[in-house]
Amino acid sequence: MNRITVPIGPQHPLLKEPMAFQLTVEGESVIESTLRLGYVHRGIERLCQERTYVQNIHLVERVCGICSHVHTTTYCQGVEALLGLEVPLRGLYLRTLLCELERIHSHLLWLGVLARNIGFDTIFMYAWRDREIVLDIMEDLSGGRVSHAVNVIGGVRIDLTEEHRDTILSQLDLLDKQVAHLLGIVEHERSLKARTQNIGHLSLEDVRRYCVVGPVARASGLNVDLRRDRPPPPYDRLTFTVPVHEDGDVWARTWVRMRETVESVRLCRQILTLLPDGPVAARARRRVPAGEVISRSEAPRGEVIYYIRSDGSDIPARVKIRTPTLTSLITLPTQLEGVNMADVSVVLAGVDLCIACADR
Amino acid sequence: MSNVKFNLEALLAAWQRAFPKLKLTMETLPLDEVVVAFPPEYLVPAVCVLTEQFNVRHLSTITGDDTGEGIALLYHFWSGSGLTLRTRLPYDALHIPSLTGIIPGAVFYEREAAEMLGVIFEGHPAPQPLLMPDDWEGEHPLRASAEDR
Repeated sequence: MNRITVPIGPQHPLLKEPMAFQLTVEGESVIESTLRLGYVHRGIERLCQERTYVQNIHLVERVCGICSHVHTTTYCQGVEALLGLEVPLRGLYLRTLLCELERIHSHLLWLGVLARNIGFDTIFMYAWRDREIVLDIMEDLSGGRVSHAVNVIGGVRIDLTEEHRDTILSQLDLLDKQVAHLLGIVEHERSLKARTQNIGHLSLEDVRRYCVVGPVARASGLNVDLRRDRPPPPYDRLTFTVPVHEDGDVWARTWVRMRETVESVRLCRQILTLLPDGPVAARARRRVPAGEVISRSEAPRGEVIYYIRSDGSDIPARVKIRTPTLTSLITLPTQLEGVNMADVSVVLAGVDLCIACADR
Repeated sequence: MSNVKFNLEALLAAWQRAFPKLKLTMETLPLDEVVVAFPPEYLVPAVCVLTEQFNVRHLSTITGDDTGEGIALLYHFWSGSGLTLRTRLPYDALHIPSLTGIIPGAVFYEREAAEMLGVIFEGHPAPQPLLMPDDWEGEHPLRASAEDR
């Protein structure tokens, strides 16, 4: 049978962000695929070397348009460690609250994208409607729906009143109900299962070979989560479970992400209930002592790692950022092999691509 | 990635056994990250010890850093705890064997370090640019000598 090459991207209705795929297709099946990144490369690592530590908070927030807060959290955590600065507990709790809200927002957004790609627009609309609850909570807290600019070196710049806390708790009650409903759809809806089961398969060995992180790894049976394995405070005082699935297909990833969303709502509630009194931030010096630090966090898509080297000035000498999407992208050619052309969009959605993250 | 923590003392002992002539230096960074330095020619054998004897196989990323005295490469690993192998390449010998044969997940990180800093990873299966344009001419963007554009 004739082989033809189908280009997808860099600009394509299927992709939310620019990236180029070349699919070699025989009939309806994909034989081979290659991908090309870099269309939204903004040189953020180099720009970090030309701005002060404080300015960089706002720069790294722009690495990702979905999980912006976890980037500033990881960056600030690193700079605070270099400074030897102790962040007040209330500041850490509020920081973590935003991290968990962001996880819910990211997973619900993703569920909508997946549903759209499989042609199940009802779930898409439900997921995005429910995501509005989280966006409202985040907007009331920080003033921004997606870019929050909440972190400062030494803590956060927001605080909560008792009254505001009760409002959020009642919004979480509603969210809890909606997320449980969406999880039910994922677990029982036959048409969703028909489009997502047994495609985009990654074995546990594949996941290990390609050093994959986050929900994609957990959906293939790799039981890792930095929030549990090396808990930064206050995760060590909170109880939650890490959902893991063995199937390794797109459906397992959907299930893992929705179960995580349930856990995140639980975490938000615990954080609000346990929220200690006190200041939200400590004063930080502008100059950072010479040294190096490696800072890691569990983002919605998995492990984020920052390497920061200071030469003793107020501008970092090197900031290296590795975002979790990059690890999933390596696996795409493996996942796409033998996939039916109509399922390509489902496989692409399944890994939760964030191209701006990968390109930086 | 794995949540099984490696035994650092046993690991250092295994490296010392494998490379008796080498004087290992270890430092601990804030946030509990251990860094061990290796000369460039020892890096791949050292990673082999990690993967084969200790089953530490998760390479988080490779940081390339122009320190002004050469290019430092930091291989960040994770297995229940952070471990980084550091090597320094002088400007006149910017090449090192590729890790992709042992850890296929290194493929993007090596391409990035190559285009950003000009390090040559010998034996890399697809050494084209990852983020930079194909027709990019000019200095490697993360070199200290690269001008602002």
